[in-house]
Amino acid sequence: MKEIEKAIEVKNVTKSFKLFYDKPSTLKERLVFWNKKKADVRIILNNISLEIKKGETVALIGVNGSGKSTLLKMMTKIIYPTKGTIKTTGKITSLLELGAGFHPDFTGRENIYFNASIFGLTEKEINARLEDIISFSELGELIDSPVRTYSSGQYMRLAFSIAINVDAEILLIDEILSVGDQHFQEKCFKKLQELKESEKTIVIVSHSLDSIKSLCTRAIWINEGKIRLDAKTEKVIEEYIKVCG
Amino acid sequence: MKELVHNLYSYRLLLKSNVKKEIRGKYKASFLGILWSFINPLLTALVYALVFPFILKNTEPHYVTFIIIGILPWTYFTSTIIQGTTVILNNAGIIKKVYFPREILPIAVNTSGLINFLISCIIIAFFLIFSGIGFSLNILYLPLILLTQYIFQLGIILITSALEIYVRDAEYIINFFINMLFYATPIIYSANMFAGSHIEWLINLNPMASIINSYRNILYYQTMPELKSLFITLGASLILLYLGFKIFNKLQKGFAEEV
Repeated sequence: MKEIEKAIEVKNVTKSFKLFYDKPSTLKERLVFWNKKKADVRIILNNISLEIKKGETVALIGVNGSGKSTLLKMMTKIIYPTKGTIKTTGKITSLLELGAGFHPDFTGRENIYFNASIFGLTEKEINARLEDIISFSELGELIDSPVRTYSSGQYMRLAFSIAINVDAEILLIDEILSVGDQHFQEKCFKKLQELKESEKTIVIVSHSLDSIKSLCTRAIWINEGKIRLDAKTEKVIEEYIKVCG
Repeated sequence: MKELVHNLYSYRLLLKSNVKKEIRGKYKASFLGILWSFINPLLTALVYALVFPFILKNTEPHYVTFIIIGILPWTYFTSTIIQGTTVILNNAGIIKKVYFPREILPIAVNTSGLINFLISCIIIAFFLIFSGIGFSLNILYLPLILLTQYIFQLGIILITSALEIYVRDAEYIINFFINMLFYATPIIYSANMFAGSHIEWLINLNPMASIINSYRNILYYQTMPELKSLFITLGASLILLYLGFKIFNKLQKGFAEEV
């Protein structure tokens, strides 16, 4: 059998944060307190290894502070592991925080260009997707008004429409399945289902177990910096509810 | 290195929109808008032109033109270094949330500064014409000098912007050095004043002196730039740029956690 390509490969990754009681950030403080080790090292992820194959839809679950989001952030290269390596193949879009980098004074249309360029798209590529993005957001004529005039729901709708139309091979999503009103949520959900069928790799961090169940084929339960269980979604959720529910 | 170039190329639209944002955002709320990038150096030059003839015994014949040719590149230098040093810190919000090649930010500051400088070169042209100095073919050296200055500045801000994240004093130290460097650079005076004296070699060590002298040579004195000095500066700037990318790359891994 042909080996299926790996999209994400996490190898022996440890991530620890230094917790300073009083973090030195000026030269004076650094010089005066150079030998005072007032930092606590807190290990968020402890020697984690996992592989996600191309086309898989995987959920990361776990209680707050278990390190799910940290893992996701390392996959996008916003932060880097203390030890170990993370290898990703293909273009990544992260929906960690929707609307990051929106400029309030620019119109929705201008922000599409600006935001999509953050995801590494060229002008041509954005032009080709512009109509899709605008129609998906259902903003209509509002698209030419400054973003600061949008309601928070409209803001999120635009941001989600951009991120989902970037056409990345890997999609990393952090707790944003609750965008907009009921109607728009269903639409997002459908779109994700569509992406799932089109061989995209999707990693979702969420507490909404119902949507995970219908979307993901595999779930990884992270507990206290370790992988507690990595199996089929139903099984993981069953166990998870037993312990944490 | 190859990976970096490829990465930057695929994010070229982000660079473009960042440059646009820098230029458009800078004077957005002010009444005169982009005109300030003309008025500011012009007023500074006029103040110097009024004050320094009293202090210096003999000044150059077309002193206002002489000063303006020094002030404008210097303004490009200082504004880029000052804005560049804090650019990562000022974009903390976006750095924490999205991945993109962080090098884009300092490059955008330097590039928008360059565009601003090129626009303000209209003033230089204006003064060259009205003082009767005119233009010579030596102006063809201009791109080479611009390139040298661009590379030199990018090398500096790659290092300072990354350091600023870890040691917030960087910007104050930089400010002090810029103030000091102003007097060590032949802007209000001519480098020829020190020809043959002890401090000539000291001035020659200053890359900005070499750059500003080159601008003066081709525009004001209408001679060739001192190519040896210019190429040494270019070479040193290229090394600085290489080190800058290395240091930046090393330090950038902690940006999202430290800002």
